[in-house]
Amino acid sequence: MARMVQPLVKVEQLEKRFGEVRALDRVSFEVEAGEWIAIMGPSGSGKTTLINVLGGLDRPSAGRVEVDGLEIGNLGERELTRYRADKIGFVFQQFHLVPYLTALENVMLAQYFHSITDEKEAAEALGRIGLSDRLNHVPAELSGGEQQRVAIARALINQPKLLLADEPTGNLDEANEAIVLKLLHELNESGHTILVVTHSQAIGNLADRRIELEHGRLARISAPSLAKE
Amino acid sequence: MFLRILWKLLGASRGRLAVALIALTSGAAVCSALLNVNLDAERKLTQEFRTLGANMVIAPPAAAGGEAALADAAILDRIAALRLPDLVATAPYLYVAANSGSQPVILAGTWFDQVAKMNSWWKVEGGLVSARDDREHCLVGFTAARQLGLTLGSPVQLRSGDRSVSLTVAGIVTTGGAEDNQILTDLDSAQALAGLPGGISLVQLSISGTSPEIEQAAQTLAKNLPGLDVRPIRQIAAAEGTILPRVQGLLFWTIALILVLSMLGVLASMAALAMERRRDVGLMKALGGTVQQIMRLFLAEAGTLGVLGGFLGFLVGLVLARWIGERTFGVVTSPRLAVLPITIALTVGVALAGAIPLRLLGLVRPADILRGE
Repeated sequence: MARMVQPLVKVEQLEKRFGEVRALDRVSFEVEAGEWIAIMGPSGSGKTTLINVLGGLDRPSAGRVEVDGLEIGNLGERELTRYRADKIGFVFQQFHLVPYLTALENVMLAQYFHSITDEKEAAEALGRIGLSDRLNHVPAELSGGEQQRVAIARALINQPKLLLADEPTGNLDEANEAIVLKLLHELNESGHTILVVTHSQAIGNLADRRIELEHGRLARISAPSLAKE
Repeated sequence: MFLRILWKLLGASRGRLAVALIALTSGAAVCSALLNVNLDAERKLTQEFRTLGANMVIAPPAAAGGEAALADAAILDRIAALRLPDLVATAPYLYVAANSGSQPVILAGTWFDQVAKMNSWWKVEGGLVSARDDREHCLVGFTAARQLGLTLGSPVQLRSGDRSVSLTVAGIVTTGGAEDNQILTDLDSAQALAGLPGGISLVQLSISGTSPEIEQAAQTLAKNLPGLDVRPIRQIAAAEGTILPRVQGLLFWTIALILVLSMLGVLASMAALAMERRRDVGLMKALGGTVQQIMRLFLAEAGTLGVLGGFLGFLVGLVLARWIGERTFGVVTSPRLAVLPITIALTVGVALAGAIPLRLLGLVRPADILRGE
């Protein structure tokens, strides 16, 4: 008898309303562990809202969202915070590093909120992405690409189940975009599940599947990597 | 990591935190000074009160038929033997009906040195007699001097029966009391004139302390001087008992007001700081930081400011207390180490209360912040 493999992310009839505005309208899809998903669509189509709901930053208005077997719509505030610390890694377009903490401390901050800090482990994480010589620099002393790499190291330090990236290369030049994409690709290759919100067709083409939204509705799911083959 | 982030937080908002620290230090300085003064106020005020005359009288009970009773001067030795710790001055009095020329006058024989100690507020033309056994000079009450036509340096001859004594007027006193109508001489001269060696009419005492302490002294005296009436002068004791709590109440409410004003200063700085920190808090929550973890950081920051402000304020307050003590009581206020923990505790309380805007950051929704709202 074939063993049923549970998807890592299961979204069923998800709705998110802001007053009268329906940002997400009956969206359903599943994501397997280890997949790289690109979430695409025009501005205002609900991409960031979807990421926020999956990351436990916003609550669904209706429908079901299950991540790693956890129904996040039912979680209380405290459990939702724990969910974010344990299972989610965020990467934002604006980097969102704490400006008065060094690169090392920004990574350790995620450790601190998760459990206990390990300076050596944080330094190694930054070393793996080529920032060994930037450990004690504050964000203002780093380039955009370096800041985004610090954000990625921070997102991964607690070994999250799901990496959610919202326009991670939106504020980067081409050279730094290439570095970050290579990094994301390597992470995916090593088994990380990644959902990336992007406007870029190039990034969309790197994903295993593309989830396209329009006016909050799921327009289509395609598999560009299969097409490439 | 907690201390590391706390240190960075303190460094990151130096400007705003400096303003809050100034508010806290100023408040703590005034509180520390007033607390120091408050602790000294009781001692200083009771010392001040003791310059305002006697607050206890010891006299024999009135004799039958209204005759003035006399006590033996030996009771002065018994009072001295009790070694009352707060006894400021002891003045025996013997009142004698005498004549100056044809004019009757009351002569009060006493110990000049003790009278001077007990009644430094008397208005004196000329000078008080300072030697206890000065048999050449007398003090004349203002009204008596006018009636008898006496001025400074006037010779005065007092007669009682066939005894007489000659004195020179050393000072004319205005007290607003019975002394204005009397002539004050040394006790021995009065006893000689009255022919009552060793006789005294009463003893006035000036005892330092609070109302309960004076009552306690009265009980001790009464127990050890049987057959004599020991009477605290209630009006003075009561006035002392009323003024001290009022002064302390005034200091208390001033401290409370200062603390509220400091808190408002801190509140203003923290409100601005809270606006700056919204993004950081949103991010921390997104990373999985609980409200408790984040608030612990901010409250520790406010608490650190409170401890620092309290300590600095205590030091400044010592200088301030010294100045207030000199201005108000004419003496240096002693620094009290007990004020340090109280000042720090109050300042930490004010800092935490002033950090309410930071506590409201716990309500920040990370999705709103990360969206840029």
